[in-house]
Amino acid sequence: MLSLILILIAAAFFTGVIVRVKSMASGRKGPGILQPLFDVFRLFKKGVVYSETTSFVFQIAPTIYFSSVVMAMLVVPFGQSKGILSFDGDFIFFAYILALGKFFSIISAMDTGSSFEGMGASREALYSMFAEPAFFILMGSLALLTGHTNFQEMFSALHIGSYISYALAILGTFVLMMIAMVENSRMPIDDPKTHLELTMVHEVMILDNSGFDLGLILTAGYLKFAIYGALVVNLFIGVFPLQYSIPMFFVIQFVLASGVGFIESFMARFRMSHNAQFIFVLTSVSLLIFFGALLILGKFV
Amino acid sequence: MAGLLNLSWCATIVAIITLCFVSTRFKSYLAASAVIVNAVLTSLLAIGALNGEIKELIFQGNIFWGDILVRIDGLSAWFILIVNLTSVTGVIYGIGYLKPYVNSAQKLAFHWILFVIFHLSMVWVCMLQHSLAFLVAWEVMSLSSMLLVIFDHDKPKTIKAGINYLVQMHISVTFLTIGFIWVYFQTGSFSFDAFQTYFGANSNVWLFLIFFVGFGIKAGFIPLHSWLPHAHPAAPSHVSGVMSGVIVKLGIYGIFRIISFLKADFLLLGEIVITISVLTGVYGILNAAVHRDFKRMLAYCTIENIGIIGIGIGLGLMGIGNNSAVLYYLGFGGALLHVLNHSLFKSLLFYSAGSVYQQTHTRDMNKLGGLIRQMPKTAVLFLIGAIAIGGLPPFNGFVSEFILYSGLLEGLKFSNISQISLLVVTLGGLSIIGGISVLTFTKTFGTIFLGTERKKLTHQPVEVSSMMLIPQYLIVLVMLSVAFLPQFYLNLISKLLDTFGKTQFVAGSFGLSAYSESITNINLYSILFVAIVAASWGVRALVVKGKSMKIEPTWGCAYVAPNSRMQYTGKSFSKSLGKIFSFLLVEEKKYKELEAGEIFPESRKYVSHYQDFFEYRFINYITHHLVYAANYFKFIQNGRVQSYVWYGIIFMVAIFTLTVLNVLK
Repeated sequence: MLSLILILIAAAFFTGVIVRVKSMASGRKGPGILQPLFDVFRLFKKGVVYSETTSFVFQIAPTIYFSSVVMAMLVVPFGQSKGILSFDGDFIFFAYILALGKFFSIISAMDTGSSFEGMGASREALYSMFAEPAFFILMGSLALLTGHTNFQEMFSALHIGSYISYALAILGTFVLMMIAMVENSRMPIDDPKTHLELTMVHEVMILDNSGFDLGLILTAGYLKFAIYGALVVNLFIGVFPLQYSIPMFFVIQFVLASGVGFIESFMARFRMSHNAQFIFVLTSVSLLIFFGALLILGKFV
Repeated sequence: MAGLLNLSWCATIVAIITLCFVSTRFKSYLAASAVIVNAVLTSLLAIGALNGEIKELIFQGNIFWGDILVRIDGLSAWFILIVNLTSVTGVIYGIGYLKPYVNSAQKLAFHWILFVIFHLSMVWVCMLQHSLAFLVAWEVMSLSSMLLVIFDHDKPKTIKAGINYLVQMHISVTFLTIGFIWVYFQTGSFSFDAFQTYFGANSNVWLFLIFFVGFGIKAGFIPLHSWLPHAHPAAPSHVSGVMSGVIVKLGIYGIFRIISFLKADFLLLGEIVITISVLTGVYGILNAAVHRDFKRMLAYCTIENIGIIGIGIGLGLMGIGNNSAVLYYLGFGGALLHVLNHSLFKSLLFYSAGSVYQQTHTRDMNKLGGLIRQMPKTAVLFLIGAIAIGGLPPFNGFVSEFILYSGLLEGLKFSNISQISLLVVTLGGLSIIGGISVLTFTKTFGTIFLGTERKKLTHQPVEVSSMMLIPQYLIVLVMLSVAFLPQFYLNLISKLLDTFGKTQFVAGSFGLSAYSESITNINLYSILFVAIVAASWGVRALVVKGKSMKIEPTWGCAYVAPNSRMQYTGKSFSKSLGKIFSFLLVEEKKYKELEAGEIFPESRKYVSHYQDFFEYRFINYITHHLVYAANYFKFIQNGRVQSYVWYGIIFMVAIFTLTVLNVLK
């Protein structure tokens, strides 16, 4: 329950912080931190425009996408306290339920019959496919290291060991944050502020969504950021009592958000054609974590 | 038991004879009722066996055969029920699918007779526990399915696919025969029980590998898979649904049967099986992702799922080797459940793809588009199959994949570093398989059913008849029951595994469902998800109500003259993937370069399609050289009757002299 509330609060600020950091880096004042929320509320009040090529798939897809993110949010724990759902192998459920959401967002893009949206859909499918093994090998290594197979037990057991586990946690942070960038289509994989449909990934997929549906998709995006942020936080806060861990949660989420903002201000997007290889490199970082876990367990003799 | 089996034989014979005479309109109904009668009779036996009472029957044999043992244990029963379910849905779907052929009476009679025999032979393959009788049933199954494949025998491509299938099946039979004869020479018995003695006394590895190759050809493990992508597209869809749904699974049945006799070397065999399986899975789904022929795509997808099942089998073997009951149950249990699941969604996909083919007469998805408007029911059915086969919740594919993932994680508790590394790589492999299958099925569904039509069709497609839809609804019902009531199926499987010949694990009576609450509760989470979707949909409906809603053209990015040819095709959708894996996905392009002096180019053609890596690089290479070598012996087959008589005489004289000289005894 605690994790759910914290994630919801973090989700409300995360994107606002990114936008604010970006504006400040480019010398502007920028909108208020809650502006993304106001945008969503404005969208919720608007009517909708549907493309004449679309079918019912286009209408249900945003709802299913949003629900899948909500469902994924329920399994994320916070330190010692469990998520709403916690069971052995819940990270598999987490990854697969997010994949279901992605499945629907991809086919809804194809439903419009637009070549640009098909392009975005194809890239989204390819990138998320390459990100998958990195996540699974990371989680598998943590399961190997801790002997548990659910988020909460894995994260809390991570700290009863040597300090090397913190080194693994830092590598894990890198992997999780890059996966979050892939999932949310941010720099350096995708530039959300590009003005050319040809080079968009996620933004081009939702070109035809409007009104309530667009609001749902944006909300799901905010939630996803906070969810991955929460996973990163969990890598570090395992044994700390709540009065330290809750402030740590917000500090880490804030650092991540401003990090994303800085990256987007000072870095260019990777070459589109090399993105897939880049994402696949994450798997090798995960393999490093795996070898680290083997080292800690003393399996290398 | 004998009574029921005799009844099924009588029903079959009566049906076959009447099928020859009855008028064309009723042939399909008669065949369907024969299949249903057989299915009900054998299912009655199988259900009893699943509940623990093993059925046995012995045919008194002669000196050559020995006694023929017919036995239905849990394993046979599980596969018999799967065979029956898929055959029944297949035959009902076939009634509607073959309607347009009502004028070719002989073709239909032949087809339906074969279908009845085909179904019965598959059931008997699961029951016979006698090597020779098993081979006979196996051969009847292969031949009848081959003849079913070449239903459209006036097309040269179909005949070619049929012969390819025939040859490969006989390579498989050769391996099986070698295996059985090997056991016979060591133990002097054709009964399957002789395997126990053999494996107890000899090395387990080589004989298992021979059977693994033999059954693996049927199942479609790489590099023995190359018949699938030819035979499945060539066959009529109800046949390809049954072939992909169950005939391939009988290869898995054979492997399971042999495993139940194994006595040693589990670890090594488990590692071999799991390695081949991961490669099979990744290779299958990579190929499925790039092909434009949607039935070929489904065939490759079958190869992928065989890989997933194989991962389960390998895990189970490693579980026995490490003496871990949990892994034994998770591995074999996941594999068996996935066998059921795959037979369900793969036949569903083949049937709905068949409906598309029947209406549009093309298997090239890049020529289709927007069919969801003309064929909404088929589209929804295909969508359900696509989600389920990707292993996504809340459908049944997720349940079995979740069990396999749990098994992989359980295996991480082993102490051996090489096993741990293998399992972690498998974990990554399984997740890649999941990722690519999302890409494959979004591409297929999106290209066939969404957007607008890419090419004008000669006939406007309409929704197929309810005769073809009803079996698909039936499959969806069973799929939902697996997804939301997995406990029932898991209980059956754990009972089955208790009687699987691995007695060391029965003592604790440790069922699959006892493993962890997560597996027994996985349906609750799916229900919760459905509830969240429903709630969000309800909120959406409330908020949207009364707001303005407009229908406008798709946003064309300010381009005002878009046409349907500009849409993203399936080919372009998977092009980047194909490029990245170009070392495995061999793309063949056919086009004519522009000549230097050609100032006014004429219209020209550009064709590109993907070749199977193993077939293109290895099998074709080998057969090419075989044909080349065989050329040197062409003089023997010279077409002159005199020479052939001469060969006969030489042969007889040789036999005679060798016998007289006591060389041949």
